[in-house]
Amino acid sequence: MSNRLVDKMNALRSDNRSGVAPYVTAGDGGMETTLSVLHALDQAGASCIELGIPFSDPIADGPVLQAASERALASGASLNSALAMLSRFRTEGGQAPIAVMSYANPLVRNGLSETAQRVADSGGDALIVPDIPLEEGAMLEEACALCGLCPVFFAAPTSSDERIQEAGARTRGFLYVVGRVGVTGAGTTFGEETQSFLNRAQKLSQAPIAVGFGISSPESVRAAVQNADLAIVGTALVQRLHESNKPAIEADSFLRELLQGLN
Amino acid sequence: MSSSTVHSGPWFGDFGGSFAPETLMASLLELEEAWKGIGQTPEFKEELSDLLCNYAGRATPLTHARRMSEELGCELWLKREDLLHTGAHKLNNALGQALLAKKMGKTRILAETGAGQHGVATATVCALLGLECVIYMGEVDAARQKPNALRMELLGARLEVVKHGQKTLKDAINEAMRAWVSDPEAHYLLGSALGPHPFPALVAGFQQVIGEEALEQIQRQAGGLPDTVVACVGGGSNAIGIFRAFVQEDAVELIGVEAGGEGIETGNHAARFSGGEPGILHGCRTWLLQDEGGQILPTHSVSAGLDYPAVGPEHAELQALNRARYAWCTDREALEAFDTLSRLEGIIPALESSHALGWVRSHRDSLSGKRVLVNLSGRGDKDLASVFAQRDGGET
Ligand SMILES: Cc1ncc(COP(=O)(O)O)c(C=O)c1O
Repeated sequence: MSNRLVDKMNALRSDNRSGVAPYVTAGDGGMETTLSVLHALDQAGASCIELGIPFSDPIADGPVLQAASERALASGASLNSALAMLSRFRTEGGQAPIAVMSYANPLVRNGLSETAQRVADSGGDALIVPDIPLEEGAMLEEACALCGLCPVFFAAPTSSDERIQEAGARTRGFLYVVGRVGVTGAGTTFGEETQSFLNRAQKLSQAPIAVGFGISSPESVRAAVQNADLAIVGTALVQRLHESNKPAIEADSFLRELLQGLN
Repeated sequence: MSSSTVHSGPWFGDFGGSFAPETLMASLLELEEAWKGIGQTPEFKEELSDLLCNYAGRATPLTHARRMSEELGCELWLKREDLLHTGAHKLNNALGQALLAKKMGKTRILAETGAGQHGVATATVCALLGLECVIYMGEVDAARQKPNALRMELLGARLEVVKHGQKTLKDAINEAMRAWVSDPEAHYLLGSALGPHPFPALVAGFQQVIGEEALEQIQRQAGGLPDTVVACVGGGSNAIGIFRAFVQEDAVELIGVEAGGEGIETGNHAARFSGGEPGILHGCRTWLLQDEGGQILPTHSVSAGLDYPAVGPEHAELQALNRARYAWCTDREALEAFDTLSRLEGIIPALESSHALGWVRSHRDSLSGKRVLVNLSGRGDKDLASVFAQRDGGET
């Protein structure tokens, strides 16, 4: 089964290139806004887009993404409305791989396999679930295998070499590397410690590396991709989109700015 | 469940597990290793048992509540965790975990609290053992359990008041977990038998002393086993603490009482087994109050310690096995029981524990003539302000 994310990561590696993967909270500002933002990011050159499904209790998120989740839920966003929007993105020609990111509960609520199938049918390519670690990963792997999605696992600075190795072997698409200890939001400084951790992850993982948490400028993109295949940009983008009255235009210009960090 | 089963997780039947972010997995594995290693040595057990006895005041008494028995037409016995130092069963777990954390070389403790009893217990053991202490407490709870908020500060803890979400226990746990994700070198001293592995089994292990004592006491003082054991269920630690000793006694009925709030039909309650469905929250698979899309629903209870949308996974298994039954008691029934025990026995119970008593009062007909053991998990001094406020508000 071919998969847009796997194909994209292979293409980047064979061209010896890196990419930027923006994160957006589905339904923040309304689902129509999210749809227009996805198209803008796709056209501006996102290598992959993470589509966050809002959850009432996001324990790995800092204040900015918590607030985005709350706004999205208050405006009626749900997994169902996000997947309907994703289907439209595909029928309207959207090309970028989409990794759907959610906490476990909304995904297991109506059966994880059934939900994974619906994500695949709607045009999603991967499932990223921060509260499903390796220990509980079999359920995610089984659900994804049935419908051709990539199950994505994590590595953190606190992870042992053995865990990073195992995560790198079990993940599909990319290994999600948490750039620093902490919740989403505050800036990662790509100092020596972070780089040596990324280096360790790169050595231990056969899978491509996507690094996230606090990347917000072309300089931090440049630093991130020294030892990674993808730089994930979440909090900084979500905050800008929220503050802008033309989110699609903002998404386009911010991503183009970030992409300069790749040159 | 076979009688030889030692419940050490991660799974309790279909419930439990390790649904935690990767950043925390190293700390959870380290904790499990310490618990199964240092925590099982005779030296550790002796040191803990010395603290439980000579610092905390164990064994707690078992009291025959004679006047209330007469009123209800049953034989009512109370396991007096209200007499434990700091005023609730929470200290059993706080002492155990803090001692373990100290042996692991930890210097900083993070904890959440709802009713404030776990916060006070944690602040107390941190003072005792010389550990830095940060407590997360929802703004609503800090107001309705003000005496406990003040005690924590007096004991030298830093109180972080959580001002988002419903500003109650669930939000305090969210914030404590985020703090732990940012500071995995600290020990997170979780206050109930819930959360990711190894917490549910670890906490139950430190609380099972309640049931071990009660089993011995009731046989000695009453001359036999109880017919029914009743405990309130917030996260489930006092209930599992007393249930574990009786699980193998098939003739003993086990009743967990959840917060019925304003009544199940109103939707304003925290009765997970009556109004919820299984899902995953705060690290484990268990019964949750949630909507069709898997979003967690708001809860309501007059009692801060029961006002929580999930329940410990070992209870979910006991319910699935039909070994324990989970019922509920409304705010009104609990407030009436609070008054009744105060007047008939000279014991002011915590509002949480009042739920167990309230259920007994409402089921006096079916309990007629039976020997009933209630876990009186804590004392009610902390609740005076909210009880009198309810009265002034004309709600009781
Ligand atoms: C006195 C008392 N009883 C019961 C509870 C509920 O917790 P658990 O279900 O873990 O015993 C609390 C929680 O704060 C409490 O303070």
